[in-house]
Amino acid sequence: MAVTYLGVRHHSPACARLVADTITAVRPAYVLVEGPADMNGRIGELLLGHELPIAVYTGYRDGRRRHASWAPLCAYSPEWTALTAGREVGAQLRFIDLPAWDPALAGLRNRYADAETRYSAATERLCREFAVDNIDALWDHLFEIAPAEGLAERLDVYFDAVRGETEAGPDDTARERYMAHWVRAAAADAGDRPVVVVTGGFHRPALIRLAQHGDRDWPEVPQPPGDAVVGSYLVPYSFRRLDAFDGYQSGMPSPAYYQQLWESGPVEAAARLTGAVATRLRGRRQPVSTADLIAARVTGQALAALRGHPVPSRVDVLDGLAAALVGEALEVPLPWATRGHLRPGSHPVVVEMVASLSGDLVGVLHPDTPLPPLVHAARRQLADLGLDGSGEIGIDLGDDTDRQRSRLLHRLRVLAVPGVERAAGPGPGQVPLLRERWLLEPSDDRLPALIEAGSYGGDPLDAAAAVLAERIAAAGGDMPVMAALLFDAVLCGAGELAGPLLDELDAAVASAADLGGLGQALGVVLAMWRHDGVFDTAGSVTLGTVVAAATRRALWLIEGVRGGAAPADRARIHAVTGVRDALRHAGGQLGLDLPAALGVADRVAADRDAPADLRGAVFGLGWSLRGSATDAGRAMRGAFTPAGAGDWLAGLFALAREEVLHAEGMVELLDELVGGLGEAQFLIALPALRQAFAWFPPRERHQIAVRVLRARTGGTGPDLLRLDAAPGLVAAGMALDERVDAALRREGLITT
Amino acid sequence: MSEQIQRPPAEVRYAAELARLRETDDGERPPGWALSLRAARAFVIGDDKLGVSRKFVGDPSLIDRALVTLATSRGLMLVGEPGTAKSLLSELLAAAVSGTSTLTIQGGAATTEDQIKYSWNYALLVAEGPSTRSLVPAPLLHGMAEGRVVRFEEITRCPLEVQDSLLSPLSDRVLALPELTGPESMVFAREGFNIIATANTRDRGVNEMSAALKRRFNFETVFPIADFDTELQLVEAEAAKLLSASGVGVPPRRDVMEVLVTAFRELRDGHNTRGDATDRLSGVMSTAEAVSVAHAVGLRGWFLRREPGTAADLVSCLAGTAAKDSPEDLAKLRRYLEQQPRGRRGGQWQALYEARHELPG
Repeated sequence: MAVTYLGVRHHSPACARLVADTITAVRPAYVLVEGPADMNGRIGELLLGHELPIAVYTGYRDGRRRHASWAPLCAYSPEWTALTAGREVGAQLRFIDLPAWDPALAGLRNRYADAETRYSAATERLCREFAVDNIDALWDHLFEIAPAEGLAERLDVYFDAVRGETEAGPDDTARERYMAHWVRAAAADAGDRPVVVVTGGFHRPALIRLAQHGDRDWPEVPQPPGDAVVGSYLVPYSFRRLDAFDGYQSGMPSPAYYQQLWESGPVEAAARLTGAVATRLRGRRQPVSTADLIAARVTGQALAALRGHPVPSRVDVLDGLAAALVGEALEVPLPWATRGHLRPGSHPVVVEMVASLSGDLVGVLHPDTPLPPLVHAARRQLADLGLDGSGEIGIDLGDDTDRQRSRLLHRLRVLAVPGVERAAGPGPGQVPLLRERWLLEPSDDRLPALIEAGSYGGDPLDAAAAVLAERIAAAGGDMPVMAALLFDAVLCGAGELAGPLLDELDAAVASAADLGGLGQALGVVLAMWRHDGVFDTAGSVTLGTVVAAATRRALWLIEGVRGGAAPADRARIHAVTGVRDALRHAGGQLGLDLPAALGVADRVAADRDAPADLRGAVFGLGWSLRGSATDAGRAMRGAFTPAGAGDWLAGLFALAREEVLHAEGMVELLDELVGGLGEAQFLIALPALRQAFAWFPPRERHQIAVRVLRARTGGTGPDLLRLDAAPGLVAAGMALDERVDAALRREGLITT
Repeated sequence: MSEQIQRPPAEVRYAAELARLRETDDGERPPGWALSLRAARAFVIGDDKLGVSRKFVGDPSLIDRALVTLATSRGLMLVGEPGTAKSLLSELLAAAVSGTSTLTIQGGAATTEDQIKYSWNYALLVAEGPSTRSLVPAPLLHGMAEGRVVRFEEITRCPLEVQDSLLSPLSDRVLALPELTGPESMVFAREGFNIIATANTRDRGVNEMSAALKRRFNFETVFPIADFDTELQLVEAEAAKLLSASGVGVPPRRDVMEVLVTAFRELRDGHNTRGDATDRLSGVMSTAEAVSVAHAVGLRGWFLRREPGTAADLVSCLAGTAAKDSPEDLAKLRRYLEQQPRGRRGGQWQALYEARHELPG
């Protein structure tokens, strides 16, 4: 028996070529490929003749976790060429890795991510040794650009060095043990015919070791737990998504470049890359002169020579273009030097360059491919709920069946399925509506849309949840958008996010920059978290996370607000109210930091640079959270300037209206302070004061009036508020006032 | 001689390394260069096999691009925040390429064309008239005539018309001396001549460069050190050197250095290690500043209490370096100290939080 182990990097044209050549030369009995073993019965589906890129999508759901992952395949994937070349030579094709739902792969959304980046010490050492920025540049340097001779040996040396003494984690170890079991069984079955094993290079050294000893019978394909819902199927994929994984989930970047490299070699790929960048930039009206292109080309070739490349590599070309085309300081480092996503603030020229590397190719499944389960599930559920017709549909959210219908329709709306449109219904932060109106109309575009959406999940619920999770991660700190997305999730009945998505959500909230928007979202989410019977969101973990993160963030932002005399900002005041409510109603349950909040309140209340309304509001925050305030009188006197008093009071009243009303002597003090203002000062303070007192409902305003009158006259009050003149006389007087005002306005003496 | 010099130039400091590199250099040298591109690169980013130290911490590709630019007909413009070792890099590059890094023009508001191109020995000028004897060459004329790299520090601090005097030396590679006659009135640049300019992004808008001049330079942005561990190591090592030179008997504490470098990075980047957006100080939070704060922290600890500096010393030293005289920065720093260290693990973070009131002002 002869087993050839090919350790590859996923999505590497050089490895893909090596795999195809080896299989053609060896003509093995078995080709074993790193891939989900539960797909073995359906390899035929993969080879129907699709337009790549496609992916094997696996969705998993049980009582404890929900998981979705993709195994993307493009023309230059070694796994793909292993399958096609293996079929050509009549070999038995087998996937030998654990199914995507197995707990060992629970942390992976991209099966073909680079395993070695999970253990970065060795790769960092190699990069330093070869004086390159990162593993992508190193890879091109060693394999993609270098001549093909000795490639297999170089790969083995490289991956042996990378694996070195590294102890793989338990997940990788479990996978390696399982794959080795397949190798042993296939080798035993093949007898003296050869076997080719294609896996990630990181696993190769372990596989060779593990395949020596152990069972030689065929391994079982693990079965999911009984309560789990699992589905694996083919979905169309795109270069954009292939390029979009980040961090340790990423594989090779720049699919369009490597596709070109695969098809026509490095020289052509470099030339096309330069051409594509120039075309794109000129299309955007960015100046790209011939002199620039010459400079870029010369620089690229010189860099290639300096770095010892026979032809310019991806990074050589990009470096040359950047040197020639970027004529100013950069805000963030070049993305191909740092790896990972484009960062905000990237130079526009760089953005275009990365876009032309990424490409926009989208895969198409062969018509005979079984439709993704989403299509069947959506059709069945629509029929079950009587929504397969057309026309207008009214829904009562108080009714259980109707609520199910609403959720299904919302899921389809989120998946952008044509012909499903909501005409009216509840929105975030609006008066709670319990009725929805939907317009349904059949559309030919529905099937393609569902097939495309099928790459997100096998059931409308899963797919909508995945789409929303993606959008939430992309929303960044834009809180109104975030609130709308969370509300969509609630409408879809997919309100609960799990695991890393919760962290992403937390991080997104933590980058919010607008206090007003944050406060608004906090209010909406807190209300849903506290009591929402209709959508079952009370006590939701996801919303709780948002409340906690938003409270923390709001406190940070509150301490940073600076500004002098500006009218009271209601959105800002509402944000403080939101913080108060969150601390009061959710503080214990969500573990919010009350002393920290009180600290912020005290500091900002005493900060002369903070705007008056915010100072008043945080003073009220402290008062209301503690239930008492030391020296409220002195604080009020301190804040009472003609220009700022009204704004300060607006903040205070919004937060601690009742406390002010019930505190001994506060109303009287206010009266004294207002009485002490001169005529002109009073006119300056008046508009803001009116706004401040608008926080009191009429009954409380009446109470204030009574107390003021009692303090001033000793009388009982209400009588003094009544006039004893005849209504007609009052009306005549008001009419006279109006005429005088009109005359004054006409002469330009007053303006209102 | 070099023992008495405070700071010898790079070609003197690293003379042995340069000599080793010259000996082993078998690569092709661009005309007029002292080393091949590869050897020059090894000089800057280090080569363990040849015993060449790593002198610049940053992306190797930046050095590649910079060297290639110097071998072409465009000048090299190093831009970046203050304290990102631009000047050091330009010194190293000049030493590697030309063997000398001293042809330096320091840009400033008072820089004149005389200081860039040439001036006259007026006694001789009056006595003999304009001649090569009475001519006093400035760095640019030297560099062109001898085929060496000229460094122009802080170019954007110079008035625009002074900057533009580089236009024809850069594009036509010739400098006219109209006072002289005959072949001496034109100095053609010899192979090996090029210009490395540095500019500070904080100075952007002070003296914006003309588009014509920009076109003649390739821009390379030098970023602060991206990797936390590398920066920590650097700060620790440099601070230890400074402290022992100042007569402090103990090295800086690792945990305090970690807090210091983390705080500097967070205040520089505008987000914390968790990824939350925080404030970016307008003051310079460079690695160099971190070293000087670490130095000050060590001095305080040693000379006030005979122990290594603590996080409490850090608070006192931060105000002077980080906030300088900006009340906004001081407010931002205060907010940072009040809200960020709270709840972080590690004794020194707690100490930093407890000491927050020591922030003056």
